[in-house]
Amino acid sequence: MSIDAALNSSIFLNYLVIVGILLAVAGILLTIMSLLGKNVSSAWSSYRGWLVMAPIVMGTIFLGRSATIIGITLLAIFGFREFARATGLYTDWLLTGTAYIGIALLGIVAQAIDPRLHGLGWYGMFMALPVYVIGAILLVPILRNRSKGQLQQVALAIVGFVYFGWMFSHLGFLANTPHAYGYLLYLIFAVEINDIAAFTCGKLFGRHKLRENISPNKTLEGSLGAVAISMLIPWLVSFSFPHFDPLHLILAGLIVGVGGQLGDLVISYIKRDIGIKDMGSVIRGHGGILDRVDSMIFVVPIFFHMVRWFHGSA
Amino acid sequence: MTEWEYHPSPGIDASMTETLRNFPREPTMLAYAVRSIAALILRGWMRIYHRMQVEGREHFPQSGSYVLVCNHTSHLDTMCLLYSVPLRQIHRTFPAAAVDYFFSSLPRSAVSAILINALPFDRKVKGAESLTVCSELLKNDGNVLIIFPEGTRTTTGEMARFRSGIGRLVVGTDLPVVPCYLSGGVDAWPKGKIFPRPRRLRLRVGKPRTFGHLEKNADSVKAICSELEKHVTKLDRSSA
Repeated sequence: MSIDAALNSSIFLNYLVIVGILLAVAGILLTIMSLLGKNVSSAWSSYRGWLVMAPIVMGTIFLGRSATIIGITLLAIFGFREFARATGLYTDWLLTGTAYIGIALLGIVAQAIDPRLHGLGWYGMFMALPVYVIGAILLVPILRNRSKGQLQQVALAIVGFVYFGWMFSHLGFLANTPHAYGYLLYLIFAVEINDIAAFTCGKLFGRHKLRENISPNKTLEGSLGAVAISMLIPWLVSFSFPHFDPLHLILAGLIVGVGGQLGDLVISYIKRDIGIKDMGSVIRGHGGILDRVDSMIFVVPIFFHMVRWFHGSA
Repeated sequence: MTEWEYHPSPGIDASMTETLRNFPREPTMLAYAVRSIAALILRGWMRIYHRMQVEGREHFPQSGSYVLVCNHTSHLDTMCLLYSVPLRQIHRTFPAAAVDYFFSSLPRSAVSAILINALPFDRKVKGAESLTVCSELLKNDGNVLIIFPEGTRTTTGEMARFRSGIGRLVVGTDLPVVPCYLSGGVDAWPKGKIFPRPRRLRLRVGKPRTFGHLEKNADSVKAICSELEKHVTKLDRSSA
């Protein structure tokens, strides 16, 4: 990945065109609906959010491998920060600091060259790092010679680091693969389409609650509709991965369709348990960073290991 | 099994602009890290580019909160004062900065809140409210408040009259007020220029003063202002 590679990559340029067209169509649709007198103000504010986010995402990927890994690491750090602020862990500087350092190390390891195999990204260390970081987090109460409330703090820090840090950082590691543009852009694009499809199908056909104690607005119909649409996407954008067999295309669709919604539900029960509505309010019309990338976190590592299983170094 | 209790940050629903503008600020590790790095860079920059000199550092009170007052010639003034306070106090030093200028946009607010640790001061509408925020801040031990009593940067190089805020803040309290005079600021960074020029800067720190003996009324406020004005000017004269 580099600026030159992006300019010569038909995959990158294809996605650029697709995103451009989708944003334009959505803008026109929203204008028509508001001219017809429908109340679309919340849709407008989330649309405006997309108008800011899409260029940032495409621009970062355009800049190349390092920019992408740095960008995703920053996203993971600020995502963890939201989690820490939401759970109250943020007052514990030693634990949050350890997790921040751990996430930063993940970024560095993804950026590094493998010292033995000389490939991009130090895969072995990327997978082993959680051992050391979790070890370090568990050491903090010992260093402080304190036990009261420490299990909760340590558990929160580990969940935060592993889930929001490590699992999400797999996305950055994908930038090291020869098919980086296809994988990254497919994942980001398909996960967002999956979100929108679940919402739209739920609105149109929703009858039965999916998990009423976790997220009362989600319906079974919406969820199934989203899986169906997500299963179609890999075939529509099959230019992203010319080396995929039909089996891989099916798996890619399934992982996004199911994983995306599981990620959403995970954040939902976390928020519900804490008793907050959004994880933050960084992105107007979308809530916090975690409210936006929630569906991604579950999908990314599973997709990563799927392609690695079938295509070696991915 | 007892349930876990969560204590989300009170500012969790605030937008980014609100978070930056809110005061007192929630201590954030990332902001502290960025500010510490910025402070180190600033120290190097001031020393090398402006050959910054500080005279009378020993006048800074060793304990308790205090107020620094200084003449206001350029944006460098704040940097100079931040340069002169001990590094360990950098997160507890708050330059009072005009809301209408330093917190007018998101990028400006970010620089003011994160790098400079500015206290948003409303010099136009809610002056009294802002002063309350200041005195609350100074009630806690070990905080430093930086105030430019002229209220704006000078264009002529002449020091303007001190506005009453500083007097109202310290009248009848035992808060030490440390007068400072910065020379070279106008030359180094004139109002309107984009980038500072490599001119020598010198900060003179005077003896701290307290105004606990004065009664809280308009006359004492005036007296405080003119006394501080006199002391700051004297620091200028003594360099000549």
